[in-house]
Amino acid sequence: MIPIQSFLVLSALLFAIGFYGVLARRSAILILISVELMLAAVAINFIAFATYRDPKAFSGLVFALFVIAVAAAEVGLALGIVLRLFRERRTANVDEANSLKW
Amino acid sequence: MTGALVAGLVMGPILIALIALYMAARISGAEVIFYLAATVILGGALGAVLLSNLVHAALSLIATLMGVAAIYLMLLSEFLALVQILVYGGGVIILVIFGLMLTNAQDDPVVTDGSQKPFAFGVGALIAGLFVTAAILAEWGDAGATLIPFPLFGKRLFGDFGLPIIIVAFLLDIAFTGALVNARRAESAGAEEGAR
Repeated sequence: MIPIQSFLVLSALLFAIGFYGVLARRSAILILISVELMLAAVAINFIAFATYRDPKAFSGLVFALFVIAVAAAEVGLALGIVLRLFRERRTANVDEANSLKW
Repeated sequence: MTGALVAGLVMGPILIALIALYMAARISGAEVIFYLAATVILGGALGAVLLSNLVHAALSLIATLMGVAAIYLMLLSEFLALVQILVYGGGVIILVIFGLMLTNAQDDPVVTDGSQKPFAFGVGALIAGLFVTAAILAEWGDAGATLIPFPLFGKRLFGDFGLPIIIVAFLLDIAFTGALVNARRAESAGAEEGAR
Protein backbone atom coordinates (compact mmCIF):
# COMPACT_ATOMS: atom_id res chain seq x y z
CA MET A 1 0.00 0.00 0.00
CA ILE A 2 1.30 3.40 -0.96
CA PRO A 3 1.01 6.02 1.79
CA ILE A 4 -0.73 9.28 0.95
CA GLN A 5 2.52 11.19 1.58
CA SER A 6 3.99 9.80 -1.64
CA PHE A 7 1.22 11.34 -3.70
CA LEU A 8 1.42 14.64 -1.81
CA VAL A 9 5.20 14.88 -2.25
CA LEU A 10 4.86 14.06 -5.95
CA SER A 11 2.23 16.73 -6.46
CA ALA A 12 4.26 19.28 -4.46
CA LEU A 13 7.30 18.69 -6.68
CA LEU A 14 5.16 18.89 -9.82
CA PHE A 15 3.60 22.14 -8.61
CA ALA A 16 7.02 23.64 -7.85
CA ILE A 17 8.34 22.68 -11.30
CA GLY A 18 5.28 24.26 -12.90
CA PHE A 19 5.75 27.42 -10.82
CA TYR A 20 9.37 27.63 -11.95
CA GLY A 21 8.20 27.34 -15.55
CA VAL A 22 5.60 30.08 -15.14
CA LEU A 23 8.21 32.46 -13.73
CA ALA A 24 11.13 31.57 -16.00
CA ARG A 25 9.57 31.13 -19.44
CA ARG A 26 8.99 34.02 -21.85
CA SER A 27 6.80 32.40 -24.49
CA ALA A 28 3.10 32.64 -23.64
CA ILE A 29 2.42 29.09 -24.81
CA LEU A 30 5.19 27.66 -22.63
CA ILE A 31 3.70 29.54 -19.68
CA LEU A 32 0.38 27.84 -20.51
CA ILE A 33 2.16 24.45 -20.48
CA SER A 34 3.58 25.23 -17.04
CA VAL A 35 0.12 26.22 -15.79
CA GLU A 36 -1.12 22.85 -17.01
CA LEU A 37 1.55 21.18 -14.86
CA MET A 38 0.39 23.12 -11.80
CA LEU A 39 -3.25 22.23 -12.46
CA ALA A 40 -2.33 18.54 -12.81
CA ALA A 41 -0.55 18.72 -9.44
CA VAL A 42 -3.64 20.24 -7.84
CA ALA A 43 -5.86 17.54 -9.36
CA ILE A 44 -3.58 14.80 -7.98
CA ASN A 45 -3.92 16.36 -4.53
CA PHE A 46 -7.72 16.57 -4.81
CA ILE A 47 -8.03 12.93 -5.84
CA ALA A 48 -5.55 11.68 -3.24
CA PHE A 49 -7.44 13.43 -0.44
CA ALA A 50 -10.78 12.21 -1.80
CA THR A 51 -9.84 8.53 -2.01
CA TYR A 52 -7.68 8.35 1.13
CA ARG A 53 -9.36 10.69 3.57
CA ASP A 54 -12.92 11.25 2.40
CA PRO A 55 -14.32 8.10 0.73
CA LYS A 56 -17.86 8.87 1.98
CA ALA A 57 -18.37 12.26 0.35
CA PHE A 58 -15.47 12.28 -2.20
CA SER A 59 -15.99 15.92 -3.20
CA GLY A 60 -12.34 15.95 -4.33
CA LEU A 61 -13.09 13.70 -7.29
CA VAL A 62 -15.79 16.08 -8.50
CA PHE A 63 -13.51 19.06 -8.09
CA ALA A 64 -10.74 17.29 -10.00
CA LEU A 65 -13.21 16.94 -12.87
CA PHE A 66 -13.96 20.67 -12.61
CA VAL A 67 -10.23 21.41 -12.64
CA ILE A 68 -9.85 19.44 -15.87
CA ALA A 69 -12.83 21.24 -17.47
CA VAL A 70 -11.61 24.69 -16.43
CA ALA A 71 -8.10 23.87 -17.65
CA ALA A 72 -9.50 22.95 -21.07
CA ALA A 73 -11.48 26.21 -21.22
CA GLU A 74 -8.41 28.17 -20.12
CA VAL A 75 -6.19 26.65 -22.80
CA GLY A 76 -8.72 27.31 -25.54
CA LEU A 77 -9.32 30.93 -24.55
CA ALA A 78 -5.66 31.69 -23.86
CA LEU A 79 -4.58 30.30 -27.22
CA GLY A 80 -7.19 32.49 -28.90
CA ILE A 81 -5.72 35.51 -27.13
CA VAL A 82 -2.15 34.47 -27.97
CA LEU A 83 -3.07 34.09 -31.65
CA ARG A 84 -4.62 37.56 -31.59
CA LEU A 85 -1.52 38.97 -29.91
CA PHE A 86 0.68 37.29 -32.49
CA ARG A 87 -1.34 38.72 -35.37
CA GLU A 88 -1.16 42.26 -34.02
CA ARG A 89 2.38 42.27 -32.66
CA ARG A 90 4.16 39.44 -34.53
CA THR A 91 5.31 38.01 -31.19
CA ALA A 92 4.08 35.48 -28.64
CA ASN A 93 6.45 36.50 -25.86
CA VAL A 94 4.84 37.93 -22.77
CA ASP A 95 7.68 40.38 -22.06
CA GLU A 96 7.02 42.10 -25.39
CA ALA A 97 3.31 42.59 -24.67
CA ASN A 98 4.00 45.57 -22.43
CA SER A 99 1.53 48.29 -23.41
CA LEU A 100 0.15 48.44 -19.87
CA LYS A 101 3.61 48.79 -18.34
CA TRP A 102 4.99 52.25 -17.57
CA MET B 1 17.85 13.36 -29.87
CA THR B 2 19.82 14.45 -26.85
CA GLY B 3 16.58 14.63 -24.92
CA ALA B 4 15.85 10.97 -25.69
CA LEU B 5 19.42 10.05 -24.69
CA VAL B 6 19.15 11.84 -21.36
CA ALA B 7 15.71 10.30 -20.74
CA GLY B 8 17.10 6.84 -21.46
CA LEU B 9 20.14 7.39 -19.25
CA VAL B 10 17.91 8.48 -16.36
CA MET B 11 15.12 5.95 -16.84
CA GLY B 12 17.39 2.92 -17.34
CA PRO B 13 19.07 2.85 -13.92
CA ILE B 14 15.82 3.73 -12.15
CA LEU B 15 14.04 0.86 -13.91
CA ILE B 16 16.86 -1.55 -13.03
CA ALA B 17 16.94 -0.39 -9.40
CA LEU B 18 13.17 -0.74 -9.07
CA ILE B 19 13.18 -4.25 -10.58
CA ALA B 20 16.06 -5.25 -8.29
CA LEU B 21 14.21 -3.93 -5.25
CA TYR B 22 11.08 -5.77 -6.39
CA MET B 23 13.00 -9.04 -6.84
CA ALA B 24 14.46 -8.64 -3.35
CA ALA B 25 10.86 -8.19 -2.10
CA ARG B 26 11.68 -4.81 -0.58
CA ILE B 27 8.86 -2.98 -2.40
CA SER B 28 5.55 -4.18 -3.81
CA GLY B 29 4.48 -4.18 -7.44
CA ALA B 30 2.19 -1.20 -6.87
CA GLU B 31 5.14 0.78 -5.56
CA VAL B 32 7.23 -0.11 -8.61
CA ILE B 33 4.48 1.28 -10.85
CA PHE B 34 4.09 4.36 -8.65
CA TYR B 35 7.79 5.20 -8.77
CA LEU B 36 7.93 4.60 -12.52
CA ALA B 37 4.95 6.91 -13.05
CA ALA B 38 6.51 9.49 -10.71
CA THR B 39 9.77 9.38 -12.67
CA VAL B 40 7.91 9.86 -15.95
CA ILE B 41 5.88 12.73 -14.47
CA LEU B 42 8.79 14.62 -12.95
CA GLY B 43 11.11 13.97 -15.90
CA GLY B 44 8.44 15.13 -18.36
CA ALA B 45 7.71 18.19 -16.23
CA LEU B 46 11.40 19.11 -16.08
CA GLY B 47 11.60 18.68 -19.84
CA ALA B 48 8.52 20.85 -20.32
CA VAL B 49 9.99 23.75 -18.35
CA LEU B 50 13.68 23.36 -19.30
CA LEU B 51 13.91 22.27 -22.96
CA SER B 52 14.63 25.13 -25.32
CA ASN B 53 12.99 23.45 -28.32
CA LEU B 54 9.32 24.33 -27.97
CA VAL B 55 7.92 21.26 -29.73
CA HIS B 56 10.06 19.00 -27.54
CA ALA B 57 8.73 20.81 -24.49
CA ALA B 58 5.14 20.20 -25.66
CA LEU B 59 5.92 16.53 -26.32
CA SER B 60 7.38 16.02 -22.85
CA LEU B 61 4.18 17.58 -21.49
CA ILE B 62 2.39 14.57 -23.04
CA ALA B 63 4.63 12.22 -21.01
CA THR B 64 3.75 14.12 -17.83
CA LEU B 65 0.01 14.08 -18.49
CA MET B 66 -0.03 10.35 -19.30
CA GLY B 67 1.95 9.71 -16.10
CA VAL B 68 -0.65 11.75 -14.21
CA ALA B 69 -3.34 9.49 -15.73
CA ALA B 70 -1.41 6.49 -14.39
CA ILE B 71 -1.35 8.12 -10.95
CA TYR B 72 -5.12 8.58 -11.13
CA LEU B 73 -5.37 4.84 -11.82
CA MET B 74 -3.20 4.15 -8.77
CA LEU B 75 -5.64 6.30 -6.79
CA LEU B 76 -8.42 3.96 -7.98
CA SER B 77 -10.30 6.61 -9.97
CA GLU B 78 -10.33 5.11 -13.44
CA PHE B 79 -12.99 7.49 -14.77
CA LEU B 80 -10.78 10.51 -14.15
CA ALA B 81 -7.82 8.70 -15.73
CA LEU B 82 -9.85 8.17 -18.89
CA VAL B 83 -11.07 11.78 -18.86
CA GLN B 84 -7.47 12.93 -18.40
CA ILE B 85 -6.27 10.95 -21.41
CA LEU B 86 -9.22 12.08 -23.56
CA VAL B 87 -9.16 15.76 -22.64
CA TYR B 88 -5.41 16.29 -22.37
CA GLY B 89 -4.04 13.76 -24.83
CA GLY B 90 -6.77 14.45 -27.35
CA GLY B 91 -7.62 18.11 -26.90
CA VAL B 92 -5.21 20.24 -24.93
CA ILE B 93 -2.03 18.86 -26.50
CA ILE B 94 -3.40 19.35 -30.01
CA LEU B 95 -4.38 22.93 -29.13
CA VAL B 96 -0.96 23.67 -27.63
CA ILE B 97 0.94 22.25 -30.61
CA PHE B 98 -1.33 24.14 -33.03
CA GLY B 99 -0.66 27.27 -31.01
CA LEU B 100 3.09 26.71 -31.16
CA MET B 101 3.03 26.21 -34.91
CA LEU B 102 0.61 29.06 -35.70
CA THR B 103 2.55 31.61 -33.66
CA ASN B 104 5.90 30.70 -35.17
CA ALA B 105 7.31 30.79 -31.65
CA GLN B 106 11.06 31.16 -31.31
CA ASP B 107 13.16 28.66 -29.42
CA ASP B 108 15.13 31.14 -27.37
CA PRO B 109 13.76 34.66 -27.25
CA VAL B 110 16.34 37.40 -26.82
CA VAL B 111 16.26 38.47 -23.18
CA THR B 112 16.91 42.16 -22.73
CA ASP B 113 15.94 42.82 -19.12
CA GLY B 114 17.89 40.17 -17.24
CA SER B 115 17.12 36.52 -16.69
CA GLN B 116 14.36 35.57 -14.26
CA LYS B 117 15.72 32.05 -13.89
CA PRO B 118 17.60 32.40 -10.56
CA PHE B 119 14.61 34.09 -8.93
CA ALA B 120 12.24 31.51 -10.40
CA PHE B 121 14.44 28.68 -9.17
CA GLY B 122 14.52 30.19 -5.68
CA VAL B 123 10.75 30.50 -5.51
CA GLY B 124 10.25 26.99 -6.91
CA ALA B 125 12.69 25.47 -4.41
CA LEU B 126 10.99 27.37 -1.58
CA ILE B 127 7.54 26.08 -2.57
CA ALA B 128 8.81 22.52 -3.01
CA GLY B 129 10.59 22.56 0.36
CA LEU B 130 7.60 24.03 2.18
CA PHE B 131 5.00 21.65 0.71
CA VAL B 132 7.17 18.54 0.98
CA THR B 133 8.04 19.29 4.61
CA ALA B 134 4.40 19.92 5.44
CA ALA B 135 3.24 16.73 3.70
CA ILE B 136 5.84 14.57 5.46
CA LEU B 137 5.49 16.08 8.92
CA ALA B 138 1.69 16.00 9.13
CA GLU B 139 -0.19 13.07 10.68
CA TRP B 140 -2.27 11.45 7.96
CA GLY B 141 -3.38 8.28 9.74
CA ASP B 142 -2.92 4.97 7.97
CA ALA B 143 -6.05 4.75 5.83
CA GLY B 144 -5.62 3.26 2.38
CA ALA B 145 -7.15 4.37 -0.90
CA THR B 146 -10.83 3.47 -1.20
CA LEU B 147 -12.43 2.53 -4.49
CA ILE B 148 -15.38 4.84 -5.12
CA PRO B 149 -18.03 2.99 -7.17
CA PHE B 150 -18.88 4.48 -10.52
CA PRO B 151 -22.68 4.82 -9.98
CA LEU B 152 -22.09 6.63 -6.69
CA PHE B 153 -19.74 9.05 -8.41
CA GLY B 154 -22.31 9.75 -11.11
CA LYS B 155 -25.05 10.32 -8.54
CA ARG B 156 -22.88 12.73 -6.57
CA LEU B 157 -21.73 14.53 -9.71
CA PHE B 158 -25.13 15.10 -11.32
CA GLY B 159 -27.19 15.17 -8.11
CA ASP B 160 -25.41 17.25 -5.49
CA PHE B 161 -23.19 19.09 -7.95
CA GLY B 162 -25.84 19.71 -10.61
CA LEU B 163 -25.68 23.50 -10.49
CA PRO B 164 -21.85 23.69 -10.64
CA ILE B 165 -21.94 21.31 -13.62
CA ILE B 166 -24.26 23.71 -15.43
CA ILE B 167 -22.03 26.65 -14.50
CA VAL B 168 -18.96 24.82 -15.83
CA ALA B 169 -20.86 24.05 -19.03
CA PHE B 170 -21.65 27.76 -19.44
CA LEU B 171 -18.02 28.61 -18.67
CA LEU B 172 -16.77 26.27 -21.40
CA ASP B 173 -19.33 27.69 -23.81
CA ILE B 174 -18.36 31.28 -23.07
CA ALA B 175 -14.63 30.54 -23.16
CA PHE B 176 -14.68 28.86 -26.54
CA THR B 177 -17.05 31.43 -28.02
CA GLY B 178 -14.66 34.09 -26.77
CA ALA B 179 -11.70 32.28 -28.30
CA LEU B 180 -13.50 32.04 -31.64
CA VAL B 181 -14.53 35.70 -31.59
CA ASN B 182 -11.00 36.76 -30.68
CA ALA B 183 -9.39 34.81 -33.49
CA ARG B 184 -12.01 35.84 -36.10
CA ARG B 185 -12.08 39.52 -35.31
CA ALA B 186 -8.33 39.74 -35.73
CA GLU B 187 -8.68 38.08 -39.11
CA SER B 188 -11.38 40.46 -40.36
CA ALA B 189 -9.45 43.47 -39.03
CA GLY B 190 -6.45 42.30 -41.01
CA ALA B 191 -8.66 41.91 -44.10
CA GLU B 192 -9.97 45.46 -43.67
CA GLU B 193 -6.46 46.81 -43.38
CA GLY B 194 -5.57 44.91 -46.53
CA ALA B 195 -8.60 46.45 -48.31
CA ARG B 196 -7.57 49.95 -47.29
